[in-house]
Amino acid sequence: MELIFQNVWFVPLFPFLASILLGIGLFFFPNSIKKFRRLSSFISIMFLNIAMLLSFHFFWQQITGSPIHRYLWSWVLYKNFVLEIGYLLDPLTSIMLVLVTTVAVMVMIYSDSYMFYDEGYIKFFFCYLSLFTASMLGLVLSPNLIQVYIFWELVGMCSYLLIGFWFTRPSAANACQKAFVTNRIGDFGLLLGILGFYWITGSFDFQQLSKRFFELLSYNQINLVFATFCALFLFLGPIAKSAQFPLHIWLPDAMEGPTPISALIHAATMVAAGAITALLGATIALAQKDLKKGLAYSTMSQLGYMMLALGIGSYKAGLFHLITHAYSKALLFLGSGSVIHSMEPIVGYHPNKSQNMIFMGGLRQYMPITAITFLFGTLSLCGIPPFACFWSKDEILVNSWLHFPILGSIAFFTAGLTAFYMFRIYFLTFEGDFRGHFFDDVKKLSSISIWGSLEFNKEQFKLDKKFTLYPKEANNIMLFPLIFLTIPTIFIGFIGVLFDENTINVDFLSYWLTLSINSFNYSNSEKVLEFLFNAIPSIIIAFFGILIAFYLYGPNLFSLNKENKKLPFQSKIDVILKSFSTSIYNWSYYRAYIDSFYYSFFFKGLRFLIKIVSFIDRWIIDGIINGIGIVSFFGGESLKYIEGGRISSYLFFLIFCMFLFFLYSYII
Amino acid sequence: MNHFPWLTIIVLFPISAGLVIPFFTFYRKQNYSMVYFRYYNWISFINFHWRLGIDGFSIGLILLTGFITTLATLAAWPVTRNPRLFYFLMLAMYSGQIGLFASQDILLFFFMWELELLPVYLLLAMWGGKRRLYAATKFILYTAAGSLFILIGGLIMAFYNSNESTFDFQLLINKTYPLELEIIVYLSFLIAYAVKLPIIPFHTWLPDTHGEAHYTYGLIRINMELLPHAHSFFAPWLVILGAIQIVYAALTSLSQRNLKRRIAYSSVSHMGFVLIGIGSITNLGLNGAILQMISHGLIGASLFFLAGISYDRTRTLVLDQMGGIGTSMPKIFTLFSSCSMASLALPGMSGFIAELMIFLGVIDNPNYSFLFKIIIIIIQGIGIILTPIYLLSMLRQMFYGYKFSNTLTPYLMDAGPREIFILICLFFPIISIGIYPNFVLSIWNSKVNFLLSNNFF
Repeated sequence: MELIFQNVWFVPLFPFLASILLGIGLFFFPNSIKKFRRLSSFISIMFLNIAMLLSFHFFWQQITGSPIHRYLWSWVLYKNFVLEIGYLLDPLTSIMLVLVTTVAVMVMIYSDSYMFYDEGYIKFFFCYLSLFTASMLGLVLSPNLIQVYIFWELVGMCSYLLIGFWFTRPSAANACQKAFVTNRIGDFGLLLGILGFYWITGSFDFQQLSKRFFELLSYNQINLVFATFCALFLFLGPIAKSAQFPLHIWLPDAMEGPTPISALIHAATMVAAGAITALLGATIALAQKDLKKGLAYSTMSQLGYMMLALGIGSYKAGLFHLITHAYSKALLFLGSGSVIHSMEPIVGYHPNKSQNMIFMGGLRQYMPITAITFLFGTLSLCGIPPFACFWSKDEILVNSWLHFPILGSIAFFTAGLTAFYMFRIYFLTFEGDFRGHFFDDVKKLSSISIWGSLEFNKEQFKLDKKFTLYPKEANNIMLFPLIFLTIPTIFIGFIGVLFDENTINVDFLSYWLTLSINSFNYSNSEKVLEFLFNAIPSIIIAFFGILIAFYLYGPNLFSLNKENKKLPFQSKIDVILKSFSTSIYNWSYYRAYIDSFYYSFFFKGLRFLIKIVSFIDRWIIDGIINGIGIVSFFGGESLKYIEGGRISSYLFFLIFCMFLFFLYSYII
Repeated sequence: MNHFPWLTIIVLFPISAGLVIPFFTFYRKQNYSMVYFRYYNWISFINFHWRLGIDGFSIGLILLTGFITTLATLAAWPVTRNPRLFYFLMLAMYSGQIGLFASQDILLFFFMWELELLPVYLLLAMWGGKRRLYAATKFILYTAAGSLFILIGGLIMAFYNSNESTFDFQLLINKTYPLELEIIVYLSFLIAYAVKLPIIPFHTWLPDTHGEAHYTYGLIRINMELLPHAHSFFAPWLVILGAIQIVYAALTSLSQRNLKRRIAYSSVSHMGFVLIGIGSITNLGLNGAILQMISHGLIGASLFFLAGISYDRTRTLVLDQMGGIGTSMPKIFTLFSSCSMASLALPGMSGFIAELMIFLGVIDNPNYSFLFKIIIIIIQGIGIILTPIYLLSMLRQMFYGYKFSNTLTPYLMDAGPREIFILICLFFPIISIGIYPNFVLSIWNSKVNFLLSNNFF
């Protein structure tokens, strides 16, 4: 048993080995590897499965109360400075290990089928996927800040590779570069924060760092302003990776990658947030003050919730929401991948068509299993009782309401908004009639307003009429992960509520967490009834959001009246929300104008700076050198003409100069 | 007869033998102070000796030079125009470099410095690119002017305050000078290295020549070891210069349309880290600086080589004219991406650990003020943001996107076994240093400790 614990690093090692094997094989023997595509994808799934089983094992060990394991090797060694790498295994880590490996295995099984017809690049894909998983696992296990930074960067690189997977698309090329640079800005902050904390405490290790920090804090030996700045910088990293407000611009573009990747990247942002929660354990004293400012901005997303939970000090709720949300979101993304997959043969392979909700609708009839699993994910994300996200989200809502009513009210409003937009997606996609065949009615369809006035390029959607084609349910390999993921989506929420009321009146998750983080002790022990009672407002607001969505986009509205080809819903929306919806549509289409702001501000600013610098380089610095060269050249050339070799001109010059001298002396 | 590459093999043998030599002597002695190779009286009239030796500083660079020259010879396989002269010049350049790193006599140092310039000039002028004469002339003017300062500085040091001239490094270490004189001597050496390194504003020859430069060695060997007082005087200025250089060169690189010029400017930018490491006067910083020299020697060489082989295929160096070649050359694409990742200091590769150590070195220095450190580190960090911008947009312009049919060559061949072999040889040490840096750090670590504890603390 000890032997296995000493080898926790096997967990990230297995996917890493798989990726290295596949990568080397593909580089040197591309043809033979491509021949055995099924086999090599099987190898990588196999390796990841081993990692998953191992992490389940560790998880079980931690539940049953094994001690926290920590193991370090020295990496860079000096007299008074040791940089160590190793791993830290505590309950929190083991939960994250299980989360990452299960989602990754599901995504891999799914994408084996999803990417099957991609032109031979499936192996590259699997290679990247394994590497991505390995670096996420490494990130989870890292015991010190330097290792966090290392794996952080590796995750960034992998998302670069994966987003740029279809590198022939110019948009993918732009998106992956954008993602990397934005992440690098976050990493810059992370690095500065790490260096700052190293400066203060002289250590990178989590435990030593927090110990030293609190020691110094108690002796009042810390420049608080500096420490605050360091903590802020540290948060720039997770803000970038989890796509929070100022640095979120890369995530929408990241959809350029294959759809399973979107699922994994979103899970990764969760992991990133999770890793930072570990950090927060060390810096919680500062973070509590600082995060609030950032929170006011990040209200729209689920990550905002997590950060909110962390900000109000509800460490456990944030983590809990992270886990439940990761499963639900993975389920939703895989479901949407399945939808896209089935839409592609009908409407065409361009993402503007196959991912366009205008052409979907009524898919529940054709692909029932996907629809049901998607519905589960949607319900979960909306916070409807038995599903996972309800428990976690509700806890955050209640806590934020108790601590900061203003933030709490924003959070409540957002809960309604979430329910609205999630169900809008669901209704548009799965309910009503299938609209994929109305290509001849392009004109009419283009006037269907989803968010106010949508202008479409007509030529873009001009397609052959294929009336006989209908979307098909995905094959079993793709359905298996979907069905599997519904299990945690439904049931994982129960971990968080009272697990064993009789023995310890503390719920399960926070019990573990108090084991791992002693510095912060948040034990929230409500009774089930009390909990449910508190949850009523949030459920009500979620239902309200769903109702609005149903009213606007519900199935009966979208069923086209085929006799007179009238689109009744259109007028309804127009009447209610014409100007309002147009402005909202524009707002959301231009991504709240932030991209264009960045473009005009940073991009052009950088361009301008580059022009100045290159001008200096080219014309001033190089110009001086070339100028010296040219002057000496012309000097030599002109001297050459003076030295013509004619005695008479020499004599003339001599006499002329002597004459001048005489004249000069005479005047003086 | 014609098909078998006799000449290349003949050329390769001595180089690879030279690569092995330092290993033997170094590990036999297990002594991290100076290992003397040879000691002859050359011109006894002025005490000028042929004095060669190797220690922790030079061994890494000697190994690197041998390694890269060997691979460069292999890379130059397709050179068909006058190959005998080419290899002669290559070997001459190699001996000049090795001699420079191994010389223990300041006049010999100057001699070797000059010896190296001529072959480089000729190589540039005869086998260079389109504007080769311009580049070669610029190179020789720059570096010859720079080397003049070495001679001046060396002579001042040798003749100051003694009846007999002393050129020996070991004796010069014990000599002390008044601070003003030391500063003057220091500056004259600094100018010489600034040209060769290159430090801004003396860098404009490099993008034209695409040379490989790791001459910070002299900065450590002479300026730090022989002139410690002036060095502690100049250290903050070196750090500032380095920080400016990182950002400045990164911005300039971003504006370059030419592939090789872009890589050359990135190499200028990376040299800024070396300057900061040397200026930090800490154990970590100096170790990091030496590591950065070696790591960048490897990464820069592989990037230039990759640029060369992609030029062979596309026949253009202008980035705007490329694009979409990723589909037809997946191996070159993979290798180019990996080397760019190494160059932008991805963890797990050598650049990262070197730059991290330099960062930590700046923090560790007790003499610099709080604000100074913060500003320097933030500027360095901005450099870290700019690096991926220019490298990744280079990759994007070259490989990503869709291939249009109006390009010059219809069929692009992927990398052959020779090219892959060279690149893997270069890439292997990059990865292994990145994964376990202690392996190479231990070579010069004790020497760095010795130098710092003797002269600065």
